[in-house]
Amino acid sequence: MTTAHARRSIAAALTCAAVGCGGAAAPPQAPPQPAPVSSASQAPAPPPPDPLGPRPEAPMPAPYLPPAPVVATGVNGITVWLLERHEAPVVSCDMTVPSGASSDPKGKGGLAYITANMLDEGAGGRGAIDLARAIDDLGAHIQTDANADASFVSLTVARRNLDRAFALFSDVVARPRFEAAEYKRVTDLWANALREREKDPDATARVVYRVVLFGPDHPYGHSWDGAPESARAVTLDDVKRFYAAAWRPDRATLVCAGDVTQKELEGLMSGAFGSWKAPPGAPPAPVTPGPPSGPWPRLVLVDRPDAPQAVIASVRQGVAVSSPDTPALWRVNDAIGGSFSSRLNQDLREEHGYTYGARSRFSLSRGPGQVVSWANVVTDKTGEALGAMLADLRKFADGGLTPDEVERTRSQARGDIVGVYETVEGIAGHLAADASLGLPPDHEAKAAEARDAADKALLDRLAKQYYDPEGSILVVVGPRGRVQPMIDKLGLPPPEVRDAEGHVLK
Amino acid sequence: MRVIVSLLAALAAVAAAAPVQAAAGETRGDLTIPFVKTTLPNGLVVILSEDHAVPQVAVNVSYGVGSRMERTGRTGFAHLFEHLMFMGTRRAPTKAFDAWMEEAGGHNNAWTAEDRTDYFDIAPPTALPLLVWLEADRMRDLGLLIDKEKLDLQRDVVRNERRQSIENRPYGVEELVLPTLVWPEGHPYHHPVIGSHEDLEAASVPDVKQFFETWYDPANASLAIVGDFDPKRVRELVDRYFGAIPSHGKPVDPGAPGFSDEKSTLTGVVRRTVPDNVELAKVTIAWQSPRHFAPGDAELDLVASVLSNGKASRLYKSLVYDQKIAQSVTASQESRVLASQFVIEATVRPGVDPAKVERAIFDQVGKLRSQEVTGEELDRAKNEYEMAFVDRLQGVPARASLLNMYQAELGDPGFVQRDLDRYRHATAQDLLMYAKRVLLPDAVVVLTIVPKKEAR
Repeated sequence: MTTAHARRSIAAALTCAAVGCGGAAAPPQAPPQPAPVSSASQAPAPPPPDPLGPRPEAPMPAPYLPPAPVVATGVNGITVWLLERHEAPVVSCDMTVPSGASSDPKGKGGLAYITANMLDEGAGGRGAIDLARAIDDLGAHIQTDANADASFVSLTVARRNLDRAFALFSDVVARPRFEAAEYKRVTDLWANALREREKDPDATARVVYRVVLFGPDHPYGHSWDGAPESARAVTLDDVKRFYAAAWRPDRATLVCAGDVTQKELEGLMSGAFGSWKAPPGAPPAPVTPGPPSGPWPRLVLVDRPDAPQAVIASVRQGVAVSSPDTPALWRVNDAIGGSFSSRLNQDLREEHGYTYGARSRFSLSRGPGQVVSWANVVTDKTGEALGAMLADLRKFADGGLTPDEVERTRSQARGDIVGVYETVEGIAGHLAADASLGLPPDHEAKAAEARDAADKALLDRLAKQYYDPEGSILVVVGPRGRVQPMIDKLGLPPPEVRDAEGHVLK
Repeated sequence: MRVIVSLLAALAAVAAAAPVQAAAGETRGDLTIPFVKTTLPNGLVVILSEDHAVPQVAVNVSYGVGSRMERTGRTGFAHLFEHLMFMGTRRAPTKAFDAWMEEAGGHNNAWTAEDRTDYFDIAPPTALPLLVWLEADRMRDLGLLIDKEKLDLQRDVVRNERRQSIENRPYGVEELVLPTLVWPEGHPYHHPVIGSHEDLEAASVPDVKQFFETWYDPANASLAIVGDFDPKRVRELVDRYFGAIPSHGKPVDPGAPGFSDEKSTLTGVVRRTVPDNVELAKVTIAWQSPRHFAPGDAELDLVASVLSNGKASRLYKSLVYDQKIAQSVTASQESRVLASQFVIEATVRPGVDPAKVERAIFDQVGKLRSQEVTGEELDRAKNEYEMAFVDRLQGVPARASLLNMYQAELGDPGFVQRDLDRYRHATAQDLLMYAKRVLLPDAVVVLTIVPKKEAR
């Protein structure tokens, strides 16, 4: 339990649905920066009555070009990306394969997720408890995860324990046990977590966006963690089959950052992954889903009786990460809902006090993903807040960015990029997301350049294409009896009512 | 909120430092964060720490005021005030603070807790003069131009924060109820940081001005700047912008008169059952415990690790893995300046009686109170903290926050190594001693949150 209260909840502001964020690209090492320039310090003499003097200028920060990792082919065909950082005696590594929820068979939503989840429930010579104990003995962290497009195992450990931790990491990746008793336990926990999810308005909204935009038959049409009914349909045999197809060295990329050298890493890998052999036959290609096809409802309402707030959202089809639009979309998103001074937040929060924060985000995914603008608003103001959000989006789509926004978002993009790369976990996680999506190792630098170079015409086109509320799907999660009359006044068609899993209710 | 959770974990649970320098040949190095500390004539503490690893600077301003300084009938005020700190001055009008900072490629946030309010800005080095100027400007003048309109707006925002992060969130009610059970009436931790709607509604413009005059004084603040800057130049900026801010003197910390963190005020088992819109029941067990940095505080962090860090930890293995009666379990020593609370929380599996989970927790606590933890368990817990110290503060914002936390609570920004030593030097006997002293079976709170339908 935490009792601190922040001025704003940033959790989602700069986070995208997939692993990384559009354009959140970035870098590890710092090119030299010009010394700070202060006009105040150079201001001519007459002592102002104001001891603070005029506002100091803040020149545009220098462009920041992320260095690319060194790429090699490791033992058994594992691709290796390494970015050395020796400031702190810590190393972080991510192993990723390009199969995630979009590879789940029909009716088995959550299979990639539960497969990843099972990897550290006993591996190599150790059962689940012994493995956890061995990892914790080293003060190491090993985590497993899956998203829409890929699966991951990540390790962070102090350098002095790297060799022992790396051996455990390789057990988790290459030698999971998949024991029935552990599977039963893990899937019981999974089923309960999915029940809990339905009580959380934000999680509910996240699930519903996906189901409504893509539809249940599309590879992106379900949440990465599945749904209660699909979770019941998944078996341990499914998990083993999924693992065998997805987790092979000739599909895997190992991304490391931190206090380790290429030579050391090669030594570690040949020992730890020397016996991890790909099965015969060509590896399955990554799934690249096509765009969603509709038709879409205009308005979806999920009833959440008695809720003091409603989630309101406008959802549209987004970009594929490889699209040339992707880098610049970061800046467009900053202007409308990706930063505190964005239009949506300024209007819904700072002008009207409807909400603790309004924001927007876009997902980074192999196929076209989603763009969502949303806010949690006080129930009594649901209609006014949704009306304001629609007006803001419409004005943005039709009028594009102001010249100030064009400049500001360039500065922001330059500044934001740095923070991602302050920690070795940040670097490894970010680059692993790139690798998992099939992006080249120099993607971050290229994306930074493209983001920087985007001009108003391009940004305006993206604003229209990705944020226009005409043709978007509006989602409201709130107490139906109270919010529906308010929404009706906006002249919207009657809502399609769905449950917390996105099923249409008749 | 999520960001804040991790930040607090870093502060309270420990964590540390940065150009992390490990002594040669040592497997476990010593930690230092190089810094220079000065105090301006008006009482403002200034801490500068250079680090040129990435082109970024962090500015952290910590004010010695939190919810425990709030007067009766004004709960939630310290946090509401934090929101008002962004509402503008004559130099930086409403909305300019964020607009200018974001134009310069920076961003910012702030948080309020029981003991302290913390403001931080993160930006490229080119923006540093602006950040220093903006922080000085609001420290100097914020109170002057606050009016009812600004107050009403942020009151609405804060009430929406309360709805979003507590009322409309599963188990959010715990944050409202637990402090009232753990701390007696009259204790400064008795009320939640977020406050009540009623008290937030009652806050007035004169309240704001008085609060600003009293607490937002340079002598009650410290400024930490960490990152890629020229210290000489920055020192000049700080002197110019902050040096002339007048001080009315450092306000007196009201403390907790009549209370001690060495003796619990709880005199029995305090039980409360609260219905909430949740799927699974949750059992929360809490004790009063020694204040941050007091003897026993680090030992109880290690006890919490033995109880719930990882699948092999005692509570996880027993409740979740073996008995399968809980969905999740955590234990933590929530360290604060006047006194802390040690809290164990478990969500209950469907169909299981919460009382059974409660008994299972008390069984494990009883074992901790009767027998030393094993050497292996202690080493594991210590390794968790060794790693946390090295790992968590790789970035300049976290380091700025840590320097200011040590300054605010101990008056010594350079405490990191001695902080780590608290963990290194703890023994199994120490853990047993503090478990016996603190985790009492008859001075404890048991809060059970149950699904609404069952409560009806």
